[in-house]
Amino acid sequence: MSNPSRKSSLRRTQQRMAVLFILPALAVYALFVLYPLAMSLWGSFFVWKGLRMLEFAGLSNFARLFVFPSNARLYGALWHNVAWFFGIMLFQNGIGLLFAWLLFLRNRGAAFFQSVFFFPAVLSPVIVGALWRLLLAPGGIVEWMLNGLGLHQGSLTVLGNSQTALVMLIAVDAWNWMGLPVLIYTAGLRQISGQIFEAARLDGAGNARMLFSIALPLLMPAVGTLTTLSFINTFNQFDIVYVMQGVQGNPSYATDTLVTYFYRLAFGAEGAVGITDIGLALALGTLLFLILSIGTLLMLRFFDRRTVQL
Amino acid sequence: MSAPAISMRLARLPGWTVLLAWTAAVLLPLYILVVSCFKTTAEIYDNRLGLPASWAFDNFVRAWTRADLGHNFINSLIVTGGAVILTILVSAMAAYPLSRYRLGWNAIMLGLFLSGIMLPIRLASVELFTLMRNLGLLDSLTGLILVYSAIRIPFAVFIFANFMRVLPSELDEAARIDGAGEVRILFQIILPMVKPAVSIVAIFTAIAVWNDFFFPLIFIFDDRYKTVPLAISVFVGQFRTDWGLVFASLAISMAPILIMYCLLARQIREGVGAGGGMK
Repeated sequence: MSNPSRKSSLRRTQQRMAVLFILPALAVYALFVLYPLAMSLWGSFFVWKGLRMLEFAGLSNFARLFVFPSNARLYGALWHNVAWFFGIMLFQNGIGLLFAWLLFLRNRGAAFFQSVFFFPAVLSPVIVGALWRLLLAPGGIVEWMLNGLGLHQGSLTVLGNSQTALVMLIAVDAWNWMGLPVLIYTAGLRQISGQIFEAARLDGAGNARMLFSIALPLLMPAVGTLTTLSFINTFNQFDIVYVMQGVQGNPSYATDTLVTYFYRLAFGAEGAVGITDIGLALALGTLLFLILSIGTLLMLRFFDRRTVQL
Repeated sequence: MSAPAISMRLARLPGWTVLLAWTAAVLLPLYILVVSCFKTTAEIYDNRLGLPASWAFDNFVRAWTRADLGHNFINSLIVTGGAVILTILVSAMAAYPLSRYRLGWNAIMLGLFLSGIMLPIRLASVELFTLMRNLGLLDSLTGLILVYSAIRIPFAVFIFANFMRVLPSELDEAARIDGAGEVRILFQIILPMVKPAVSIVAIFTAIAVWNDFFFPLIFIFDDRYKTVPLAISVFVGQFRTDWGLVFASLAISMAPILIMYCLLARQIREGVGAGGGMK
């Protein structure tokens, strides 16, 4: 009867092997993700001189964020991130739902359209930003086309105009990621039983009615995933702004975001104004961490409750 | 064709128009990008939409050599390849005991890894910079490989654990009775069974690493170690008036992703539709 002891020796071998197997991944992950993140949160409560951590400062870094001269930058960047989020929800996730629905109603061509729509999403935001910067530049092709169609006259300055610059960046971001909602919604729509739509059609429901009264409530998990992903991506927005408008969020901070502001505080800007303030940067990082974690948790709970079960 | 069938087709016309309009919105900029690569700057202004007068590779040659994009391209290949291999290796190793052993602490450890999927790592970049400097990993491709692997490990462990959990337990039990060691069981029995997971992790890690711009911007100062997106961000300002060169370097930098996308479009569509685990 060696079975129990063999089993317990297997258990012991497994415990030992498990540690050896997990250790490399855990070491890399802990050293380059968990440790720096924990140190950043901790460090936001200290006074900094350059890259040296000095004495405990309580909440004074946070207090400095909300007063002159930081407050204007903070509120501006926060507002741009919030506007960006709602812009993406409308232009990307809203129109993406329409595209997905149109593809769902057709049995031909779905794979082709999905592949085309998703293609920009595999490109680097740097390439997308650089491409659109060239296309939208004064003298660029968009200006030429709008002039040719008689929709616009003279030089196109949408990227240099603080009224329109942010809207243009949001549109470029939506162009970049449009394929994501299309793929996630079509996958969600295909999981809904065809009988439900069949029954609704027999009851005389039109396409629009079926989309909003039947498909959308059943798509709540997909809506939740997309809203949460869009929220996280928006509040991490950096690349498109940097490539198209520089790290200052030109013109005159009209496209500044929380992460570009964080980058300037932490690493300095291009040009002469490269003064860093690590204490302020870490406080902003902690604030952003709180916004992201609390926002994500609230959204996951919100959509979890609204998930319809059939 | 009967009258109802025709009216049904007509009803679908607005829908097709919308879909084709967005197709044009995606493809037209890419078409302009491609044809502009072969044009001189003067030709880009004169002949906006047409095909180039001649298919000259002059812009590509200048981008590759004079702007030294070739060098950046090789750096990006090394970093992407290194990060993909390291991520797959360590994540598969970690996911195997976490999904198939009864350790008593599987759930906690898996939770620790999974929490990293959502962590905003960019906010840790100050401390990460200090750490990299102390380890002598600034201006180093190895440093980038380690950071990217660390960032991608949570997603990879999640995918591998999900795929490995559903394999029948007889697989490893039979091998164990035959005297196979745990390392052999993982690499010769389990890993070949989860090939779809390997390809999902490889595809999405490769895309994320090839495209990333933030970490090279912070960690790389020496031109010799710059990756493609970092070089592009410089070109856009530096060669502002030389549009042909900038277009050509954009085309070069997206070529590997384009080729991969054409070969793997179906896997990518299904992977994203299933998990949305892109970023």
